[in-house]
Amino acid sequence: MKTLLITFTVVILTAFLLAVAGSISAADKYQEMLNCDLHAGPCVQSVSGYTVTFEVTPRPVKAMKDLSFRITLDGKLPENPDLPYIDLGMPGMNMGPNRVKLKSAGDSAYEGRGVIVRCPSGRRIWQATITLPDVGRINFIFDVIY
Amino acid sequence: MSSTETLYLLYISTGFTVGFGHCIGMCGPIVVSFSLNLKGKNILFPQLLYHVGRITTYAALGGVVAATGSLTMVAAHLEHLQKAVMIFAGALIVLMGLAMAGWLPIGRIFGDHSSPGKWISKGFGRLLKIKSTITYLPLGLLLGLLPCGPVYTALLGSARAGMESNSVYHGMLAGMGLMGAFGMGTAPALFLVARLAGMGWLKSRAVIYKAGAVLMIVAGLIFMVKAIRF
Repeated sequence: MKTLLITFTVVILTAFLLAVAGSISAADKYQEMLNCDLHAGPCVQSVSGYTVTFEVTPRPVKAMKDLSFRITLDGKLPENPDLPYIDLGMPGMNMGPNRVKLKSAGDSAYEGRGVIVRCPSGRRIWQATITLPDVGRINFIFDVIY
Repeated sequence: MSSTETLYLLYISTGFTVGFGHCIGMCGPIVVSFSLNLKGKNILFPQLLYHVGRITTYAALGGVVAATGSLTMVAAHLEHLQKAVMIFAGALIVLMGLAMAGWLPIGRIFGDHSSPGKWISKGFGRLLKIKSTITYLPLGLLLGLLPCGPVYTALLGSARAGMESNSVYHGMLAGMGLMGAFGMGTAPALFLVARLAGMGWLKSRAVIYKAGAVLMIVAGLIFMVKAIRF
């Protein structure tokens, strides 16, 4: 039992150090996942026959700033009392639930306000999961400026 | 169950899952260092005081953010202080590592009664004299200010709760309650890590003891580097 506990203690501290080293190599891994450059302008993807345009302003997109999130669709969503929403998270790291509630902003456009928080680990790659009720989900992976 | 109760439960459960998934990796070295530093002594009360301090700070932040309705405004004001706290935490871990390995002739920083060397500055000497367990409470209050992604995310919810409340007073209470719930949720994971690391067996394990000290020093330095880059 004692040996197990000794090992555990060293493992915890080692894990922290490895996590730091891992986050450096993970930066490359997540870099490859990027599918959107929100600093340059809106990003476009398709889900279940809908073309979704995703835009965050002001640009460049910075963490710990009040941001405006906007999605525009190329068609009307099916009748549903639930509006689309955006879940913000970091690939590979639990940052807690951060949901941007969207409101209708004209024909097939939805807007909401939110904040992308800053992670002291230094990782800057974030994921916006857009949920369109009764249609599906789509992920935009992008980097932010700290 | 009312929506408020549901929200509190959500915050406690979020804290719990984030605690095991995030806090152990990011803040584990701090609680492990405290436990190692108390080698052989009962860690229950010191750790409890540390978490009470930390949760109190979270609740205070929740109250302020809810009252203002803006995380970004409060965070902008706290940025430099948080950076300083992060550097302090890293320096503290390094010092505890050095002291634990016996490379710094000051004994343990907390919970020991050995006399500090003459070369130690008066200020640090005073710090060393504050060796009672109660020291962990102000330490928790201070380290509750450490910058942390999930804490920011939870504060966003507090800001929202503040904006949706009927009055500033009720908003503040809601923000404080939610952040308190979140903080309580994070405690079990950190407490478990501290408990497992805080056994009295290290005294007779010189090699592991030194290895732990080296890891603490490296972890503390990494903390400081992260703080400088923050």
